[in-house]
Amino acid sequence: MKKTTNYLILVAVSCVMIACSKNEHSPVANNISLHFNNTFKNNTIVLGGANSVDASSNISDSAQVHHLSELKYVVSNIRLVKADGTEVPYNVNDLDKGATVVNQAKPASLDYVLTNIPVGKYRQLKFGLGVKQEINTLDQVRFPAFYAAAGANDTDMMWQWATGYRFTKIEGFFGSENKAFQVHTGSTLNGEGGKPETYTQGVDAYRDITLDLTAAAVVGNNAPKITVKADFDKLLSGQTKVILTAKNAITPSLHSSMAAMEVFVNNIGGNGKENKSGMFSVERVEND
Amino acid sequence: MKTVLWVLTALLIAMSCSKREGNESINNPEISLEIPAEFPALNSSVAQNRPTIYGVELGEKLFHEKRFSGNNTISCASCHNPALAFSDGKQQAVGIYGRTGFRNTPAIQNMAFMKFYNWDGNILQLEKQPLVPIITHEEMNSSILEVIGKIAGDADYKKLFQKAFGDASITADRIYRSIAQYEYTLISANSKYDRVKRNEGDQFTAEEARGYATFKSKCASCHSTALFTDQSFRNVGFPLNPNAEEAGRGRVTGRPADQMAFRVPSLRNAMYTAPYGSFGQFPTLRSVLDYFDKGVLDAENLDPILKENGNRIPLTAQEKLDIIAFIETLSDPTFIGK
Repeated sequence: MKKTTNYLILVAVSCVMIACSKNEHSPVANNISLHFNNTFKNNTIVLGGANSVDASSNISDSAQVHHLSELKYVVSNIRLVKADGTEVPYNVNDLDKGATVVNQAKPASLDYVLTNIPVGKYRQLKFGLGVKQEINTLDQVRFPAFYAAAGANDTDMMWQWATGYRFTKIEGFFGSENKAFQVHTGSTLNGEGGKPETYTQGVDAYRDITLDLTAAAVVGNNAPKITVKADFDKLLSGQTKVILTAKNAITPSLHSSMAAMEVFVNNIGGNGKENKSGMFSVERVEND
Repeated sequence: MKTVLWVLTALLIAMSCSKREGNESINNPEISLEIPAEFPALNSSVAQNRPTIYGVELGEKLFHEKRFSGNNTISCASCHNPALAFSDGKQQAVGIYGRTGFRNTPAIQNMAFMKFYNWDGNILQLEKQPLVPIITHEEMNSSILEVIGKIAGDADYKKLFQKAFGDASITADRIYRSIAQYEYTLISANSKYDRVKRNEGDQFTAEEARGYATFKSKCASCHSTALFTDQSFRNVGFPLNPNAEEAGRGRVTGRPADQMAFRVPSLRNAMYTAPYGSFGQFPTLRSVLDYFDKGVLDAENLDPILKENGNRIPLTAQEKLDIIAFIETLSDPTFIGK
């Protein structure tokens, strides 16, 4: 019996050793960390209240001065594309494990670590701005962690009335009088999730973003870091030039309906057709 | 050892069989919905969620369940009061901690025949509605897991879920489905108007008959069908809700044409559902008619029928009295339990 035990210990120890040595030399997977750099052009945004002196100020193409007090968006449905075109999905149907709220007011939320990414060279990053329709149902039973994170009082990324998540929540002040503006976006679709032919009514505010990496992200012994830039200059100066007025400054609302919302959604996340990046781009890839 | 395993397996099979038989022995027949003559077709969701005896019993109990709210004070019935045709008599709904919502509580009646729910028609299947008040800050301010947690230990509920769904497990989906089943059974079609139409001996008074004639010429383009709504969404130029979140159906569809358009409300049981309008702008039916007569707010997407008529529906004082007398014939005392 004692002999058997000794053998067992020997086997166990060698297994551990083999496992360790394997990790050191040829891992099968590693992390990729995403960093979200929210900017006006090339400068990282500093948030601030109406009369803040520290807040980053920006001037739109239509010469409208503005700054932001709140900047949040949901990232989900993350996929990494290998050099050979293979797509590696990252918990795309699990909001608890594959979705996050980027919140400029919470520095920790600007980094999101993708774990257990298979070794390989990656050339493209895809993600959803917002939550795809199939799982955009505020299903607390299925995704309690994301539900809690998005619903927290200081995050407030839900549209209860539409039983869906807010996809973006951007608020700030514009013009010489520092008038308040807010842009909230989310989907109001009805129909079977994932089957656009069944959508009977509503607005689709989800956007699929595709970004080419500036250099291959090489997952191996090292865990690459990809910095994604979101240039909020494009909120007002993107595909469509927007001048904030009393009519659209609060969107959606009694003044603006959702027609204005779609303009903002397209400026933020592209129109989902030929423009699949909106205000997003990859700033750099660090492999070491 | 092998024999033991076989015996265990056999036992397990036997147990699972007997359990299944046990479930089958619960008699939970479907309720056949009596579809009144002239009523439109059922919402297609009803076929996927046919009301059953115990499903409806459970749904009714849940409808009156105050533990749906964060502090156990508000049930569905708090705002949808059966005695007021499931409305609340208030301008805007009042929920938990006295918080006020931004719209008038809609009545619940003949839901099985509706294609759209709520003032803006954002919900198309009744099963998808119960979650909204549960999680809304101004209504119940809770969450579905919180609700399930509160009622999970309740023996009465366990029994009812068992009877309604075959086992005692309390799930979100079953809560939504049973409440919808209950609401599907809330059919109002026993008013004086219905009895007159069915030739059951009742007759309109002279005033009601005049009112009906005027109604047909001046109201029935929108308040049509046996539901007294064509279920369309229209901007009729009513006073605007000052709440910045209000965009009417525009909030749902994103179409400028739907901005400040609201669902044409059914007029059945209207005598019980004052005040009127999407945020209770009008205290009485008379005030609604006076407003239409005087002229409505202009808007780019104002309903074409109003535009063609100079933004108003001209009505004499007598016509107004007559129309109201007619609308009174749409009251169904049996529906509200009187």
